[in-house]
Amino acid sequence: MSLIPPETRALVGQRLGAPVTATLHAEDAARFAYAAGDTNPLYLDEAAARAAGYRTRLVPPAFLVWAFEPPRPLASLRDDGLWRDAGPPLRLGVSRVLYAGEEWEYLAPVHAGDTLTAATRLAALEEKTGSTGPFVLLTTETTYANQAGEVVALVRGKRIAR
Amino acid sequence: MTQRWAEDVKPGDELPPLVKHASRAQLFLFSAATHNPHRIHYDRDYARLEGHDDILVHGPLQGAWLHQLVQGFAGPRGRVLALSFQNRGRAFPERDLVFRGRVAAVDGDVVTLEVWEEDETGAVLMPGSARVRLPRR
Repeated sequence: MSLIPPETRALVGQRLGAPVTATLHAEDAARFAYAAGDTNPLYLDEAAARAAGYRTRLVPPAFLVWAFEPPRPLASLRDDGLWRDAGPPLRLGVSRVLYAGEEWEYLAPVHAGDTLTAATRLAALEEKTGSTGPFVLLTTETTYANQAGEVVALVRGKRIAR
Repeated sequence: MTQRWAEDVKPGDELPPLVKHASRAQLFLFSAATHNPHRIHYDRDYARLEGHDDILVHGPLQGAWLHQLVQGFAGPRGRVLALSFQNRGRAFPERDLVFRGRVAAVDGDVVTLEVWEEDETGAVLMPGSARVRLPRR
């Protein structure tokens, strides 16, 4: 029996929700850099970023995803601490979702203060069998465009649902 | 920060390793900075219920460390063009995690890297690859 219901399979290639816009605040990006223990001056020091040829500080590339986290009420927490609405809104025959990796392409620098619009589509659903049984490999693709309409980054996010 | 130049790089070169040893407080701060309340990253009793020996280091934090390795190699005027990685194994706090890389190919200014994360036993937790553009002298 397939773990992917036909109505979910029909979503492959489709947009997942409306595009979301967020401004990448320098302080949030710096908080992320410090929390990751990454003190690269490109992210933290205006003068160093300018000396390297950028108009202002960059944001750590891994921060992009997190600038789009919406504020949520405590009532949205599940028992395991995950947000009820986290992850793509897809119905599958399995419910445990694991982080499987990311594939990033960076097309232009992302500066602190930029306002980005993220658009996500369901790129692929693949049914596979591993040592622990059948699972679904789920790939989403998100493009990030800046305030000038320039696509600055693209990520294919991989998750395993089993 | 020292700059790395395209002329100085050749296939087989090893990247300077990046060693991380995450404290529990750092994992807590990363949860806070990413607005991530998943108990598996701060509640050891809960992590054990899910079959883990201890709380887990966030997959995206390990991904951020691979970014740090690659941007560190590229230097301030080098550009990271692409980075991919797969989450293969669990990483725990208060142990050494080592991020390594090797130059796989050089095509003009564009350098392809093989990168990976190892735990203290040498097991590969997160293999990946990257492309960077380096400046010329």
